[in-house]
Amino acid sequence: MITEPKNQGASIKRITMPGSVVGGAPPAYRVIDAIRRNEPSTPEVHDTLDREEAVVEMKNFCLWYGSTQALFEISMKISRGKVTALIGPSGCGKSTLLRSVNRLNDLVDGVRVRGGMLLNSDPIYAPHVDVIDLRKRLGMVFQKPNPFPMSIFENVIYPLRVDGERRRGVLKDAAERCLKSAALWDEVKDRLDESALGLSGGQQQRLCIARAIVAEPEVLLLDEPCSALDPIATLRIEELIHEISERYTVLIVTHNMQQAARVSDFTALMYLGRLVEYGRTADIFQNPRLRETEDYVTGRFG
Amino acid sequence: MTARGEPAVWLMGLALTVSLVAIALLVGLVAYEGARTFWPRPIHLVTLADRATDAPGAAFLGLPMKEEAYDPGDEAAAEIEALRQRGALPEGSLDADGRPLRRQYRVGNRELTGVPFRWVPLYEIASVETPPSAVLLERWAWGVWVGTPRALLLQDEIEVPKDQPIVEEEWIEAAGGRSVRVTRREIEGPAGEGMRRVRERRYLAEATPEDPEGWRRVWDAFLASHGVASARLAQIRSLSRYDMGRVNDRINDATIEILRAKQEALKAADGSRRRAGWGLWSVIAVSAFGAVCGAFALGRKARALEFSRPKFVVWPRAAWCVAALLLLAAWTERPWGESVMTPQRLAEVIGEQESMIAGLQREYAEVESRIRELESQDARERVEFVQADGRFAPVSQSSLDEPMRVSQVVRAVKPNGGSTGEAVGVYLARWGEFLSGDPRDANTEGGVFPVIFGTVMMTMLLSIIVVPFGIVAALYLREYARQGAVTSILRIAINNLAGVPSIVFGMFGLAFFCVTVGKYIDRGPEAPIERGGWWWLAAGAAILVAGALVMAVMARPAPGCSPQRRHAMMGWAVSILWVAAAALAVYLVARTPYFDGFFSAKPGPTFGTRGILWASLTLALLTLPVVIVATEEAVAAVPRSMREGSYGCGASKWQTIRRIVLPGAMPGIMTGMILAMARGAGEVAPLMFVGAMKQAPKLPVSLDWPFLHAERSFMHLGFHIYDLGFQAPDSEAARPLVWTTTLLLLAIVVFLNLSAILIRARLRAKNRGSAV
Ligand SMILES: Nc1ncnc2c1ncn2[C@@H]1O[C@H](COP(=O)(O)OP(=O)(O)O)[C@@H](O)[C@H]1O
Ligand SMILES: [Mg+2]
Repeated sequence: MITEPKNQGASIKRITMPGSVVGGAPPAYRVIDAIRRNEPSTPEVHDTLDREEAVVEMKNFCLWYGSTQALFEISMKISRGKVTALIGPSGCGKSTLLRSVNRLNDLVDGVRVRGGMLLNSDPIYAPHVDVIDLRKRLGMVFQKPNPFPMSIFENVIYPLRVDGERRRGVLKDAAERCLKSAALWDEVKDRLDESALGLSGGQQQRLCIARAIVAEPEVLLLDEPCSALDPIATLRIEELIHEISERYTVLIVTHNMQQAARVSDFTALMYLGRLVEYGRTADIFQNPRLRETEDYVTGRFG
Repeated sequence: MTARGEPAVWLMGLALTVSLVAIALLVGLVAYEGARTFWPRPIHLVTLADRATDAPGAAFLGLPMKEEAYDPGDEAAAEIEALRQRGALPEGSLDADGRPLRRQYRVGNRELTGVPFRWVPLYEIASVETPPSAVLLERWAWGVWVGTPRALLLQDEIEVPKDQPIVEEEWIEAAGGRSVRVTRREIEGPAGEGMRRVRERRYLAEATPEDPEGWRRVWDAFLASHGVASARLAQIRSLSRYDMGRVNDRINDATIEILRAKQEALKAADGSRRRAGWGLWSVIAVSAFGAVCGAFALGRKARALEFSRPKFVVWPRAAWCVAALLLLAAWTERPWGESVMTPQRLAEVIGEQESMIAGLQREYAEVESRIRELESQDARERVEFVQADGRFAPVSQSSLDEPMRVSQVVRAVKPNGGSTGEAVGVYLARWGEFLSGDPRDANTEGGVFPVIFGTVMMTMLLSIIVVPFGIVAALYLREYARQGAVTSILRIAINNLAGVPSIVFGMFGLAFFCVTVGKYIDRGPEAPIERGGWWWLAAGAAILVAGALVMAVMARPAPGCSPQRRHAMMGWAVSILWVAAAALAVYLVARTPYFDGFFSAKPGPTFGTRGILWASLTLALLTLPVVIVATEEAVAAVPRSMREGSYGCGASKWQTIRRIVLPGAMPGIMTGMILAMARGAGEVAPLMFVGAMKQAPKLPVSLDWPFLHAERSFMHLGFHIYDLGFQAPDSEAARPLVWTTTLLLLAIVVFLNLSAILIRARLRAKNRGSAV
């Protein structure tokens, strides 16, 4: 099943343009230069976002690993039912931001946060929040496929198991439904009891996606889900993201401009822990407001 | 060259080779020496030269063991020189350097010769023959006997009237038309009025000097009667060991029952241990019921409100535990139980038990008479095996004039002139006996089955005990405890524990487990406190626990939070409360007025002495560091991505540990268990303190309730080797068996390790999957 990529055409045209400026003075960037000089900067957030309903909302969110600050005053809204892509150079804090949403950063010693982070307008970082409950409402897929050393079936239904579900019928139905959603059912339906570690890398990643959606999460967090896969597997995952985006809100981190262009509705560019520009993917790729954004998405910068 | 590090590589290779060679040597030597012990050796008839005349002199039968060159004294050297000049020095009696050789013979026959081994200089030997009639007898006692079969006979003691003359020797007609020789002789002993006691011997088969092949008839007759006699002896043993033993045990039980009743009566008269009233216990029962109901209601409500479930399943479980504890407490008081031991009841119990004892004693007498009957038949059948000087193997060292019973022989081997097939048969039969039989003759002969059993069982028990403790300790240290100075100190302490000499653990085990804990189990607390006071203390402990729980919940970081968010002061307070509660609990148990010991009426100690349970516990303590360190490493090696994946799915810390970390760490934990088992199986020193015995009367497992008798002492291969090598009545004779036992210990350790390694490999394969 081949699906139409969103924002087809325009983005690809631009990216394939052979285009780094050779020689000449480095161009002046408004936001990024301010960030580099460590001055306060205002990110370009397009007003197209105002019409959207936010499922996750960050308000001046800051995060420190010990004494080093990794996120600076991030304010953004993740639109319900849409795919939002986070792009930016390595180490700019994309993963950190993603992991702040389900509080996976709490596992790291010495993490401190400040500012607001709301899920359905409930604060995520309030003291009374049950983190376990919170994480049950969010699904996460990691950069490297990390199926657990157990059977395929047990892998898929793991979130239900830890939630105390024991009814065999419920578990079976859930496993079938999610494996079908993850386009894995036909490949594994005869070997559900075999170890998940025997699957190929792409299959493992789809299994992880199935696992992430089995508990009907409100937001699906994907951290570079294709970076460890070959092109064909990548393509399948992208199709999959496209399909499940009809039912879930997806927040995806990616390194790959084309991927962001293909799968996402909104795109946010980050740089050194700050938000730079955030808007509809078509706008970001076709007529960004900032010069640095244009240079970044065309590969002339970064 | 130095830069490329070649010399270092050579050195490393050399070191590796040296260690490999050392290991190969060790294993090879043990295997060689251990495997050849049971191979039948020939029997030599050695005739010594009479030194004065060079004519053949004294002769003896013996098994050649080894040869070596030795330093003769001046006198012997002069003698050898003289012999050489006369040209009478036997060939081959000197080695290449001209030093005289001597040969060690195993001559057995300890009750006559005193020493079972004999060194003979080769130059003194006039001739060596291997007569086909020479037989090696393995006996139940007194080591081996080397001799030739001379006669098989029936010996009876009869009473003859005093006035009737005794025919000292006559030939009488026997079945089959053969005539057999009968001898009679008057002996000391009880006899009826006007009678005298006469020993009559009826020679069923006999070898005479005139008939050189006569021994064959005797040998065949002996083999035939030996089978019957062995079966009879086995029957006698089984009767006295099992049937009599069982009756004895039941008589003991009845006696103890009487003692217990008397004790109870004393206590009842004392009045200081009155039970708490019905009122208290009704309150407890009602509150337990209420706790269970409340927890259920809470659980159902939780489910209805669609709270996350696991949290609320905990409450009914906790309520069940509370209810069970309360019921246990109520049971110890038994308000519904039978009334106290009144004098009438005491008399009743005593009467009941005594009539039972009388019945048992009749049963005992029956078994005894059956044994006596078999015994008397056994005593009749005798056999004469004579050594070179014509003396036969006696029935015992104190009656050298009586030939031994047929049943005293365990196995008779006739090695000379036999085929290889026969030798292999003997070899295998000896191995079979060694592996499946009981030891005999002060452990120097026979089998080691109880020893193998004890070793394996102790090792199993030890690993069953040490692994859960090690896992819990390691998990706490690695996963829950805040990493800091305290955990570092704990780790150092654990590592040092691994370096403490094992004998120290032995001492500790004896002092703590056997003497303190064992005695407590047997007799109960030495000075119990008063019941009222005990309950107050118990309430105090409960308050401490509750306080600790509440504070722990308050101090707990939000689930999934980094440990830094824990309130440090509160954490300390919780720790202190826990320690105090634990100390109080130990005190409560140690001084409880509700426990009089399980065996307080029994005269001797039951658990209060050395036993397999205490040995396993001591070794578990000894091997705990190994398991903890291995588990910690394995737990730390579970990839971060797995944990994050699990947390990301909404698993709690405990769920992540249970479902992801522990299964992933299992292979590493198995490694720790393997190391612990290997160490435990090979340890000797602490076992001598806490349970290993030279001879354990019974296996620690039996068909009698409760099947596993953890209080019994046991035998252990390591200790057995030490015992054979140093404590045997003659260690020279036991030497080969030491090797074989060592080989066996090695084999068992290798077997235990291999099976654990196999399990680990399987686990690893499961964790790794087939391909990625
Ligand atoms: N566990 C951690 N401890 C300390 N610093 C970290 C940790 N994880 C990430 N960082 C730092 O935070 C910054 C952002 O990292 P990350 O979010 O992984 O970037 P990205 O995913 O965009 O490549 C980097 O500078 C990185 O060094
Ligand atoms: Mg990243």
